[in-house]
Parts: sequence; C-alpha cells; structure tokens
Amino acid sequence: MSAELALPARLDLPAATPLAEAITALRGQDLRMSAEAVTHLGTPGLQVLLSAARSWAADGKSFSLQPCSEAFTEQLSIFGIDSAALSAPGREV
Amino acid sequence: MTSPDPMAEIRASFFIECDELLEALQDGLTQIDEGAADDETVNVCFRAVHSIKGGAGAFGLDDLVRFAHRYETVLDEVRGGRLALDHDAVLLFMRAADILFDIVRNCRDDVETDATAVEPTLRELESLTGGSEGEEEEEVADFQPMTLSLDLGLGAVDTGDTRYEIRFRPERELFASGNEPLFILRALGELGHTETECTLGAIPDLSKLEAEGALLSWKIILETNRARNEIEEVFEFVEGLCTLEIEELSGFSLPPLPDLPEISEVPGDSAESIESEDANSAPPISRLNLTLPGAQETQTPKTAPVSETPAPAHASAKSQTQRSSGSPSAPPATVRVDLERIERLVNLVGELVINQAMLSQSVAQAGIPANSPVAQDLEEFMQLTRDIQDSVMMIRAQPVKSLFQRMARIVRESSASLGKRVRLVTDGETTEVDKTVIERLADPLTHMIRNAVDHGLESAESRIEAGKSEEGCITLSAAHRSGRVVIEVSDDGGGIDREKVRAIAEEKGLVQAGQSLSESDTDALLFLPGFSTAKTVSNLSGRGVGMDVVRKSIQDLGGQVHITSTPGKGTSFSISLPLTLAVLDGMVVEAAGETLVVPLGSIVETLTARHENMRALGADSQVLQVRQSFVPLLDLGVELGFREPRSDYHGSVVLLITLEDGTRSALIVDRIHEQRQVVIKGLQESYGYVPGIAAATILGDGQVALILDPVDLLSSANGKTRYRSADLQIAG
Repeated sequence: MSAELALPARLDLPAATPLAEAITALRGQDLRMSAEAVTHLGTPGLQVLLSAARSWAADGKSFSLQPCSEAFTEQLSIFGIDSAALSAPGREV
Repeated sequence: MTSPDPMAEIRASFFIECDELLEALQDGLTQIDEGAADDETVNVCFRAVHSIKGGAGAFGLDDLVRFAHRYETVLDEVRGGRLALDHDAVLLFMRAADILFDIVRNCRDDVETDATAVEPTLRELESLTGGSEGEEEEEVADFQPMTLSLDLGLGAVDTGDTRYEIRFRPERELFASGNEPLFILRALGELGHTETECTLGAIPDLSKLEAEGALLSWKIILETNRARNEIEEVFEFVEGLCTLEIEELSGFSLPPLPDLPEISEVPGDSAESIESEDANSAPPISRLNLTLPGAQETQTPKTAPVSETPAPAHASAKSQTQRSSGSPSAPPATVRVDLERIERLVNLVGELVINQAMLSQSVAQAGIPANSPVAQDLEEFMQLTRDIQDSVMMIRAQPVKSLFQRMARIVRESSASLGKRVRLVTDGETTEVDKTVIERLADPLTHMIRNAVDHGLESAESRIEAGKSEEGCITLSAAHRSGRVVIEVSDDGGGIDREKVRAIAEEKGLVQAGQSLSESDTDALLFLPGFSTAKTVSNLSGRGVGMDVVRKSIQDLGGQVHITSTPGKGTSFSISLPLTLAVLDGMVVEAAGETLVVPLGSIVETLTARHENMRALGADSQVLQVRQSFVPLLDLGVELGFREPRSDYHGSVVLLITLEDGTRSALIVDRIHEQRQVVIKGLQESYGYVPGIAAATILGDGQVALILDPVDLLSSANGKTRYRSADLQIAG
C-alpha cells in the first residue's frame, strides 16, 4: 500500500498540527509527498516532516518528498537540512 | 530583512578590502626596500596578494586571479628564501603592485584590462625566478579549480573576515510570537559565508510529536567582515525567546565539532526512534554549506585546506598585521556612511554655528548682563557648538597615507621614464586632513612630484660629480602646524638655478632686464604662467604650465605655496592648507562701511598707524615702519574699490598680514569688530572668481560678509596704494 500527500503552500505554525494529523493518518503505508506547491517552509512544518521521516524509517516504510518546489529546496538548505533527512528508503520485506 | 542585492554589497566590500590589502602590500614592499623587513613582512605581502586572489576567485574576476596568481607565485619564492630581492627587484615588485592596483580598479569598474600592458611586467617578474613561462601558464590553468579551496582555508582570515560560532536554540514562545528561524538563518547568510548545522536529536516519533514545540537547534559558523553587533541585530526580535551564544573563533581551523558523534548517538531517543541501520540513511546531523545566491563559491571538504595551513602562526600573524581587531568582546565597530550624508551634517552644523551667533547677538542686544544665567548658558552652548563642529569635521578627516602612496607610484613611474634613480621618503602619513582637501590635493601634488623628479633632481652623472649618491631623494611630508596642514615636497637636487630662471624670465619678458630681484622673488617666478626652465619639453612635467596651475589649485583650497631652495642642496615646496574647507577662524573688520572677514591665520599683529611711522613712497603710496623694517601700506577699502584713499591714516587700525612666503603688508581697516569662527559659504559657484575675496559667510545678525583672500588681495593689489615687496627692494 502506498499513499500520496500534497503539501500545502505554507508549512508554518498554524499548518503544523493539521499536517501532523494528516500524515499520522497515513502511517503504515509507503508515503510519497509532493512539496511542489510549498512556498514557505517554517520550522514547525519542518519538525513535522522530520519526525514523519524518522517514524517512517522506524516502521521500515518508504518515505519520500518528490517533487519539491525551488523555494522548498532553498529553504531546506537555509535550515542546514540535507534532503536525506527527509527520506526513508523503506525495508525490503 | 533582505537587501536589494546582497552580492553587490559583498562585492563592494571586497573592493574596499582590496584597497586595504594593496596598502599593506605597498607598505610591505617599501619596508623591504628600506631594509626594514623581516620574514613577516614578506608574508604580509604574500598574504595580501593571496587574499586578493581568493576574493577575486569568488567573484569570478579572472583577470585579477590570473595576475595575482603569477605575482603570488614569485612572491612565494621570496617567502621561501629562494629569491633574494635587491633594489631593482623590489622596484619591479612595486610596479607589479601598481598593475595589480589598476586591475583591481578595472575589475571594480567592469573595465577590461589590457593584457599587453600587463604581460611584460609579469614576464620580467617571472624571469627573476627563472621560471619558464609555459610552466606558469599551465599552473594557472591548473590553479583555476583550486581557487576556492584555497580561499576557504586562507581567504576567510586573509580578507579580514572573522569567524563566529553561533548557537541558536529557539524556545517554543518564539514561534508563538510569530518569529521564524528561517528568516533569522537567511539574514545570517546575508552577513557573510555560513555553514549551518541543524541538530535533530530531539525530534521524536510522530506519535509523540508536539507539532508546535521547539525541537530544533542550530549551530552556524559565520565568516563575515561585519561587526558583531550586526550579528546580534539579526536576533534582536527573538531576544528572550531563544538560547543564543555567539562566539568569535580566533583561528580559522574549524574546531573538530565535538558534539557530532555525541548527537548522532543521542541516547535519549534511542528507545523508540530509529534503528541503527536506519541511522545511516537519516543521519541526525546534516550539514550543508550555504552560500549566497550568485556566489560562485564551491566548497571542498574543509579538512583538506585547513590541514595544509600552519594555523596558529597564521592566526597570530593576522592579529599583528591586520587592522587591530581588538578583543573578541569588543571588535572595533565601523560604519560606512555616504559622503553625501556627512556633507549634509556638515552643512547643518554650519547652520547651527550661524544660528548660535545670531542668538548671541540677540542676547547681547537685549541688554542681558554677562553674568546672568542666560549668558552663562549661552557660553556653554557656544562651547558645545564648537565641540560638535570639531567632531563633525573629524568624521571627514582622513590620513594622507593613501595620497602619499599614490605619490609613491608617481615617483616610480616618472623616475623610470626618465631613467633616474629616485627614492621617496615619506613622513607624517598619519596626518589627518579633510577628505575633500585630500582629493583636491592629488593633482597639484602629482605635478609637484613630477617636477621634482624631472627638474629638481639632477642626472646621475651630475649627482656623482657633485659628490652625491647616484640615487636622488624626494621627501614628502605632512604635519599639522598651528591649525593648518603643511605638506612639503623636497628634493636633494641641484636647487633652483636662479641665474637661469632670471635669464628665462627676462627672455620671456616676465621681468625687466636689470631689475633687481631677491632670491625668493626669483624663485616665485616659477609660479608665473608660461614659465618653463626645462630646455626640452618632456612629456612628463607638462609644458611648463605646471607650477602656476599648482599654485592656483592650492589657492583654491585656501592654501599657500612657498619655495625655498639652496643651490646644490635642493628645493623644497611647502604647501600650507586649512584643515577644513568648511569653517575658518577669522577677524571681523569694517572697511568703508563694509563688514569683512580676514582669516586669522594670516594676521600677525594689529597696530595703530602713526604719522611718525609712515613714510611716503612714490606718488601714491606709503610704507609703514614696523620695528626695524618697512611694510607696504594698503587700505582695504581702496583695494576693494569701496572708496578713494584717505588723506590721512594717522590713528587708523592696521592689520599686519604675513603670507607663507614671508611677504608682509600692513592692511588698514576702519574698525575691528571681533574675532570668531565663521562658516565658509563658497562664492565660486554662484559668482565665480572675485579678486581678493575667497568666500562669504553669514554673520550673527544675518548679514553676509565677504571673507578676504590675503594672498590674492596682496598679489593683485593694484590701487593707488600699491606696494609690492619687489618694488620696495628696487626703491631701497
């Protein structure tokens, strides 16, 4: 089973909790998220994504962020975050 | 928070830095030439060129990189002790430094550098080491990809950047108050080069995540030439909402990141977080190098260049040779300000001075006694105004060093083209002068230096014949003397050949044959328009129009030029200038009902004219006996055309005026009002040249008063009371 989720344009403080809930709802499945529409990546949003990546890695499910908008990639690099931290390969079963 | 073009700003500061580095290079080469150099001096030179190269690489200034690289390669030979420098070699290095200066300018102004002008000097330079040219070319090509890796290790320090380690941990409230670390990190990136590390250790499993909490923290290494307070300003709005540590790193070798392994094994979240095999795919610490958009900088693993470099030696050397950067807690804070803003401030202060004078006048007119509180407060206010004025003038003051370095180049170039060996000795480089004065001094000084090399110094043969060393010496000095700046250009040449000067002057009809002239009068002939002593016109010091233009430029600056010359020993030109072009200490006087200001600097004393001291001379003129000498008597009112000469000057007030060259005149005025500081308001732009008048000012009562130009007044005194010291000599 795999799921897809399109991230909203703004991943700021108000968006963080709804995002966490939306992602939690997809737990247990391989997840591909599109960050194509993201214009602003705030720290609260980033924390949710990082936590999700860790959780998916712990579950052995694949987690990916593809495709990413330019703004998203740039802001990620400003945060000093390697995109590897936001992906989990999933475990071959 | 985002400035319109951060790259343009960084680029601009790179060129400012280049100026400093070039200055250091010049200083170093001069020291080497004088034999006052040690190993560190060569290092300083090398690093200066190297830093320019590093910065140039980052901005893709290929011409500059190429030249600096080849220059640096030869300097490296010197540094390594494989190449010893004699005088000629140092001169060559200086010439190369001049070219480097030009290329930096060209790059700044986006002008293409003419390679043909550069190449011969480079070849000559490289021939010192015997390095074959092909090798060099190859090396340059090889070098290209290395530019930035070198820059990474050395450039940061060499270009005067400071490394800061910033640890930033937001609190939960930071987000709640609408702040966002992204903007802060971005703002830091705009201050310089950053390396940002995000610590992810506290990120829990999604089920335990508190989405609105603060879980991340950052460590940022910032290389910047900005002051610490600018970094602190970035965090201004999150003060109290985060934990913040800013630490200046003394060396440039990166500390071994002690918390790297620790955090990757953060035990706290091991229980329910990732399994060890997954740790590889999602490393807890991710490191990214963040460069500003547009910077062509690429990063190489930082361990490589760092390990190549003798870090501690380098770092300590920096603290000795670069600008004194002070202790980490208090770096010297400087601000770059538009000159326009300063001009505006200067003008406003000028208005303040005028206003304060008006206030004083009103208080005096109101009949308020001098010991009343109002008068005393006013006194304090006046003092304060003066202090403010001095401080504002100091903002514009700059050491003459940069000007002197430009002159050093003039000496090098002109001596080379004439085939003379000339040494320039400078003194008083730290003397500060108003920036506008410095700028306007460059041209006249250039002319004087060229004249000194061309006409002042004899040929090598003549020098040897005269028992002097073959190498001529030109001394350029600056000093503050009684509220003025005195700049002297002296040579140890043959001195002014007065016979020849006289002969030429007679031939050109500038003086009459047989007219007797004092030595200083003869010397002053050099300043007459159209006078030239050079038998052949050299393209170097012009066509003999030089010195009168020089004198005019200096006079326009409110200054005076004076020559002294001793046959066989040399000639000295001394320029005396006001410290600033904005204010003047003057004596407010009255002549024929007009209020005028006489610059205080030219007044030696005030006297009263008495019958027994006045002697008639010729039909229209008189002289005044001042102790043991006679001084021509001038009536200011007559000289300025306000009135006809009076029949009797007995009891008149006389100002004894002395010019820089020793010329004295007795100037009759009707009354002396007061002695005070006046704000100079130029007349040149609105009225053009007014004979005998330098500028105007506004007095306390709102009246406009003209400021006299004593030099011009005395030299153009042509009324019925016209006396000139030359005439006096003839008469006597």
